[in-house]
Amino acid sequence: MKHYDIVIIGSGSVGIPLSYYCAKKGLSVCVLDREASWGRGQNRAAIGGIRATHSDAAKIRISQESIAIVSKLQGETGLDVEWKSGGYLFVAYDEEREKAFRELLVKQKAAGLGIDWIPPARVEELAPGINPSGLRGGTYSPGDGYASPLMTSTAFHRLAMEAGVEFHYREKVSGIVIENKRVVRLVTSQGDYHADLFVNAAGADAADIAGLAGIQVPVRPDCHEGGVTEPVERFMEPMLVDIRADGESGNYYFYQAETGQVVFCITPKPQIWGKDTDATSSFLPLVLRRMIELYPRLRNLKVRRTWRGLYPMTPDGFPIVSYPKEAANFLQAVGMCGQGFMLGPGLGKILAETFVAGASIDKPAGTTEYGFVFDQLSLYRGFSGMEMLK
Amino acid sequence: MRRITSHPVASPPGERVEVQFTFDGKKLAGFQAEPVSTALSAAGVTTFSHHHKGGGPQGIFCANGQCSQCTLVIDGLPRKSCMTPLEAGMDVRTLVGHPKLPLDATPFAGAGKQALTCDILVVGGGPSGIAAAVELGKLGYAVILADDKARLGGKLVLQTHKFFGSEEDCYAGVRGIDIAGKLEAELRSTPNVRVLANSPVVGIYKDRKAGIYLDYKSYALVEFRALLVAAGAREKSILFPGNDLPGVFGAGAFQTLVNRDFVRPSKKVLIVGSGNVGLIAAYHALQAGIEVVGIVEILGKANGYKVHVDKIVRMGVPIHLATTVLSVEGEGRVEKATIARVDGSFSPMFETARSYEVDTVLVATGLSPCDEFYRQAQAFGIPAVTAGDAEEIAEASSAMFGGRISAQRLARMLGTNVAVNEEWIAKREVLKSRPGDWLARSPEIPEEKWKPVFTCNEEIPCNPCATVCPTNSISLKPKRGSLMDIPWYSRRECIGCGACVAICPGLAISLIRRAPGSEGEAWAEVMLPHEFEGSFAAGAKFRVLDKDAAFLEEGELLKKVFNRKNRTWLLTIRMSSRNASRASGVLVQDPAVTESRPELISSCPPDDAIVCRCERVTVGEILQFIRDNEVRDINQLKSIRVGMGSCGSKTCSAILPSIFRKAGLDPAAVEKGSQRPLNMEVTMGDLANEGNLGTGGFDEGGRGEP
Repeated sequence: MKHYDIVIIGSGSVGIPLSYYCAKKGLSVCVLDREASWGRGQNRAAIGGIRATHSDAAKIRISQESIAIVSKLQGETGLDVEWKSGGYLFVAYDEEREKAFRELLVKQKAAGLGIDWIPPARVEELAPGINPSGLRGGTYSPGDGYASPLMTSTAFHRLAMEAGVEFHYREKVSGIVIENKRVVRLVTSQGDYHADLFVNAAGADAADIAGLAGIQVPVRPDCHEGGVTEPVERFMEPMLVDIRADGESGNYYFYQAETGQVVFCITPKPQIWGKDTDATSSFLPLVLRRMIELYPRLRNLKVRRTWRGLYPMTPDGFPIVSYPKEAANFLQAVGMCGQGFMLGPGLGKILAETFVAGASIDKPAGTTEYGFVFDQLSLYRGFSGMEMLK
Repeated sequence: MRRITSHPVASPPGERVEVQFTFDGKKLAGFQAEPVSTALSAAGVTTFSHHHKGGGPQGIFCANGQCSQCTLVIDGLPRKSCMTPLEAGMDVRTLVGHPKLPLDATPFAGAGKQALTCDILVVGGGPSGIAAAVELGKLGYAVILADDKARLGGKLVLQTHKFFGSEEDCYAGVRGIDIAGKLEAELRSTPNVRVLANSPVVGIYKDRKAGIYLDYKSYALVEFRALLVAAGAREKSILFPGNDLPGVFGAGAFQTLVNRDFVRPSKKVLIVGSGNVGLIAAYHALQAGIEVVGIVEILGKANGYKVHVDKIVRMGVPIHLATTVLSVEGEGRVEKATIARVDGSFSPMFETARSYEVDTVLVATGLSPCDEFYRQAQAFGIPAVTAGDAEEIAEASSAMFGGRISAQRLARMLGTNVAVNEEWIAKREVLKSRPGDWLARSPEIPEEKWKPVFTCNEEIPCNPCATVCPTNSISLKPKRGSLMDIPWYSRRECIGCGACVAICPGLAISLIRRAPGSEGEAWAEVMLPHEFEGSFAAGAKFRVLDKDAAFLEEGELLKKVFNRKNRTWLLTIRMSSRNASRASGVLVQDPAVTESRPELISSCPPDDAIVCRCERVTVGEILQFIRDNEVRDINQLKSIRVGMGSCGSKTCSAILPSIFRKAGLDPAAVEKGSQRPLNMEVTMGDLANEGNLGTGGFDEGGRGEP
């Protein structure tokens, strides 16, 4: 029976880059996934935004890494992931939103983020044709951007394969055997696995996987739908985010991808809990009325396709990156709250660094500087706060 | 002149309103409300767009709203020109790369909702969908039938030829276009059925609702209990370098332009595929005055009915068996096609390569079912059945029974106690049969009295000759005891009326008699069907051919009579008695048309062929990606944009298994591509029903009653 340094459960937004960075550090890695191929859980449903403009230090740091990685990926590897540094633009149409954004701005600037308040004229420059009526401006972070989740996961998958990672597909984890508070064996439909370290990167299935080891992680997926249009000539640069809520929906956001297609998504209200990824009839009418109201020229743009994916949510909207007490060698990298795609590359690189720097349950960051990441994203935190920019 | 103003069997439209429009600034004229693509084809335009990937020219391909190759910028907006009715003053422009999204400062007018409910949603108003809706309506279900075309009948409306089958069951001998009218009339008079024509279903959703694009203007959500998918079939594309050039059409597109819109998009065509679709396309071309250089078939045997094959060959169109298309070339459009024979492993033998100067290559290499809504409904746990070609590719005649059978099956799924109609099932089985045995006949000799001679020797499900004969002189020779049996002259009381000659869809019956007053037995008269232009007069000379197109002799026309019911000329020709019983038809196309020239070619790069037409991804690019990334899941091809285009993999999905096979993988072990709404692109404004704050003519939640 083969022994690996690391076995990762989940060949998705988090698992694939992690496997690559681990292999690059000389570790032997095996990735297991029940799907037929990579990225077929929620990566396929991600819309592609990558921003560092969060409200907490851990996510900011991880995302900064992600941006650095993804923006340079094509230059360094020749693999195109359609990265574009189009920026994120949170628009404000009322006093309440303006005030909240401006308050957060202080915190974000203090964290060293390239973000600032821009007036309506600048907003209209970045998104020509946006509804000017009542527009007060917004926060704009030009260093943020977007990439193709499909191409990014494919690129990391290929790099990982070339670095020696073994990927086992159509293989479902059915049991996790624990002795002396360590995982000693992982059982799948195909056989048993032994490793020094196991990683739960199972996305929407994270709670089930952790449960096999008797570990409770507060991750509960909810359903979101997304859509994509026909391609048109570039007409807008940033990811536009409107966080206003109305009776039926919360925030919604969209951007124009490198391909010229507009990719869009909305948060339904109330949240729809569960793992259903089948398309519903309510999505398009819900999101389109809001998009056209914000951006009237979109009325002439044709919708091409829609899909539905899951946000593996935690109670406070922040991920969990933590070694559990019940199984000290079973790292949980879960609960990305719909941001696995943007956090995955940075998180993978950071975690790989900690693995070769003596990481353990007692000193999860090893000798690295990333202790604060594990502190903030601990499984044992209070989960009482709430991420403002989910 | 590319407009067809007279046609031997179909009726070109009468008075129409001519309107002016501009194409890239140039003034052109077309007819009001005809598809913009049709008006442009009539004006000789072949390039509609230049693809954003590489700038390659794109022409019309499906003419059916399925692909997006005919997209043009019309009044500032990108629109599929085959689905856009022409209006006076339209500003039409070639699309180069991606279109611009115009600025539009008009504030949002508010969203509207249109909702309908029904018991059963029938997708598709072709022969099977109509039959199913009629049956379900009779059973008391509230039915909504939605079809993407303004005129119901599906592909029947493109068919100017007479149909096989039986008169009593499925209008055998009647032309498809006329069958469509009869079926629609029956549907419109059925209770409980509401017809939404010109309104494609664009999505099926988990919550048992379908999104329908009403009149291509607004969006309605139809709540239903069960789904009957009768959406027909789409043509398979095939792979050869140049398969993306303007001038490479699906046979269906060709039939749409020629038979529905009465436009001649070509002068000279090569047809790929010898199934009934390819054969009949050749026939339609000839009837429209378009030259056909030949039909190529990669297999060693023609695929269609033997009578079809015989009649096409007789018209002067050679069928090249064990032959493939090597490449199609041209500057911006098809100018030359090169073919070669294949060896036992279907590899081309380059030393046999020959080329034709043609402006069009028609692809008729089979159909694949449009069953994606069915598969989605099944995944959602919604009761659903398929019917017609969406269930199994077969003739329209069997689809009519298939529709009824599927309707009953669905009714039983919904708890209605309907007995299985064994008779329908038996009839459908016969009507969808592949041809059976080939039976020999003994030669006939002309006698004093008229008598029929049959060149219909292959068992196919067809009998109108037997039912049309006023003296009941023709019957099927009992062997199988079904419609498959071949006809024979059983009661020998022929009165020479020619009804059998005129009705036979295979043009496989002639009448012969000894010429009255003929000295001895030297001369005979032969009555032959002729479905071509008939401006000749008695005394005209015809080259008379036997069943297999061998020249018999030159005959003289004695008389011509037009059979109105079947819109077929009956030609009575005087010829020698010894050849009369072998006379099957007259030469239509000059053999010089079909001449080719040898082509020096030692290889062809099939990897250059386009697989995904929307995103212009080649065989080579896909193979490379599969190898580089160890792909075992069709969904991964989306990384190189296969299936990410406008059509949603409708065209390429049928080809992809062969690409995986070529990469050395078992297609059965490769994960299938997922299907998601929308099935057709719709603008955000229309989906939001912008400004449509009323009910758009529909009661909110109203039932599907007429």
